[in-house]
Amino acid sequence: MTTTPGEQVDDDLWSAIGDPTRRRMLDLLLLEGAGTATTLGRQLPVTRQAVAKHLGVLDRVGLVQATPAGRERRYRVDDAQLARAAAQLSAVGSAWDARLQRIRRIAEAIQRTQRD
Amino acid sequence: MEFGTIEREIYVEAAPEIVFDVVSSPEHLKQWWPDDARYDPTPGSAGEIVFGADDAGGTAVGFTVVDARPPRTFAFRWTHEIDQVATEGNSLLVTFDLTPTRGGTLLKMTETGFREMGWEVAVLEQQYHEHLTGWDFYLPRLAPYVATLETRP
Repeated sequence: MTTTPGEQVDDDLWSAIGDPTRRRMLDLLLLEGAGTATTLGRQLPVTRQAVAKHLGVLDRVGLVQATPAGRERRYRVDDAQLARAAAQLSAVGSAWDARLQRIRRIAEAIQRTQRD
Repeated sequence: MEFGTIEREIYVEAAPEIVFDVVSSPEHLKQWWPDDARYDPTPGSAGEIVFGADDAGGTAVGFTVVDARPPRTFAFRWTHEIDQVATEGNSLLVTFDLTPTRGGTLLKMTETGFREMGWEVAVLEQQYHEHLTGWDFYLPRLAPYVATLETRP
């Protein structure tokens, strides 16, 4: 396994944010400020139990923080951890851009050689 | 934009024939991407690309040519195990479409298969080099929010 420091990504964080349902949950939490498994479950096509499980995953990687709310737990997005995830994603998302720039430079250098 | 697809376009000031050669030949491929590339650039040909040094913990993954129609289209599947047949579900599909434009070439790259493969594979793949997931699709949704964080003291 070879990684360069700038490309190193927290695997667990990736796994957590890589799931479409969990991303939808993060969107809802951002939109509404906070939510419980019950309030999120009402807005998602999955069971309350599934929502609770997903919240557990997000909690473990620090993307959400929980506070007790009656018999439930109220979750909100952890700003710092989300910003960290976004920065990592931005870095790796540009990989193809870098490759295409290299393709362009190589092809244009060959073209110049042929014109000369 | 569909989840699980990456699309990019770039204008190259070179003839499509040249650009096609650069995106398809193993000799050129390793100039812009893996450390080594071993395959025959004809449809159905299975080979491998290597990240890192072969004898020093490098990682080789399957690379199978799906389509090769010079100078317009080159497509391949990658990330499958070397001894497996590349199909939807075990590999990512990369397609290069070349269009003659303004004396040069408009190069369009599409990568699909993230949804079919699942993100666990995407995570694994990221580990052994740079990665190319569809993250910039979610970023537009995250970025405005993150921007609000940066303005805080």
